[in-house]
Amino acid sequence: MKTVHFIIIVLISGAIAGTIHGTVNFVIVEPYLDQAIEIENRNLFASGDEKDTPEFWVEYEGYRVWQKSGQILAGAILGTSLGALFGIVFALARSSLPGNNNIKKAIVLAGIMWFAMYLIPFFKYPANPPTVGDAETVVLRAILYLSFIAISGFSVVGFYKLSKRFQNNKKFVALLGYGIFISLVFFVMPDNPDEITAPMNLVNEFRLMSVLGVTSFWASIGVILGFFWNRFDTHTETTPSYN
Amino acid sequence: MLLNFMSESSQIYASKTGISKLAIMALAIVFTAGLFVVGFDQGHIFSLVYGDQAFEDLYIHELTHDMRHASGFPCH
Repeated sequence: MKTVHFIIIVLISGAIAGTIHGTVNFVIVEPYLDQAIEIENRNLFASGDEKDTPEFWVEYEGYRVWQKSGQILAGAILGTSLGALFGIVFALARSSLPGNNNIKKAIVLAGIMWFAMYLIPFFKYPANPPTVGDAETVVLRAILYLSFIAISGFSVVGFYKLSKRFQNNKKFVALLGYGIFISLVFFVMPDNPDEITAPMNLVNEFRLMSVLGVTSFWASIGVILGFFWNRFDTHTETTPSYN
Repeated sequence: MLLNFMSESSQIYASKTGISKLAIMALAIVFTAGLFVVGFDQGHIFSLVYGDQAFEDLYIHELTHDMRHASGFPCH
């Protein structure tokens, strides 16, 4: 495949998958965001930081429209970004992935990245709706979240490389090694410092919708990039590999 | 000319690690920039043009606000 084709299909795949993610969020996550922001507004009125006036609601409607309209656009941007990472990893790891065609291989990789870079970090630092986060701790939370994602992602690569030294039970060694290591990291890293004051049923339902939204991205990116790769790559083999 | 260079001289054959460094670099930049825009910008990008006012306006933060929460990034 030519480099320019590679870059284009990776970016387009990411943008499409991201747009799907944004659209799914628009339908299933937005109602929970609205509920959470309503609570946030009530808290502002109760504390006296804001007054329940027509001017407040005009300003509020203005930025809520801006925020909601950004959901799909931000999905496309985030999708293009994560798609770029997915494309790099897929190109480097494709020959080692199981599957007899690129769609299957890409779906397997998307599943691994979803698990290691989203689901496991999510259990430690789950998504929160507005009204939960404290502005004073946002930098600390960003560092913790990014660090956990990076540690989890790189440790998958590390244990995969390590497992290749073993003749038998390669998958078992990689899985066991990753499981033990990430469990240690899970308990060693500090928890999210923010106290949750919003109703837990709202928070839990929001988190479930968040997982469904992100999962729609990883499922889409695997299928779409695999499809494009099959269409544009006429030179490489697609024989199964389980190394 | 750049496209010709990319098309003709840099082929990708997924043999071992047969991916051009140019492609990796370009995609790594896209990854980093996109992640920052959606996940972490608090006015930093527009501050290059609008100065400190950008940290008050938070246009990109507000535009990506809902996706930021929905995809698990820390927010205010």
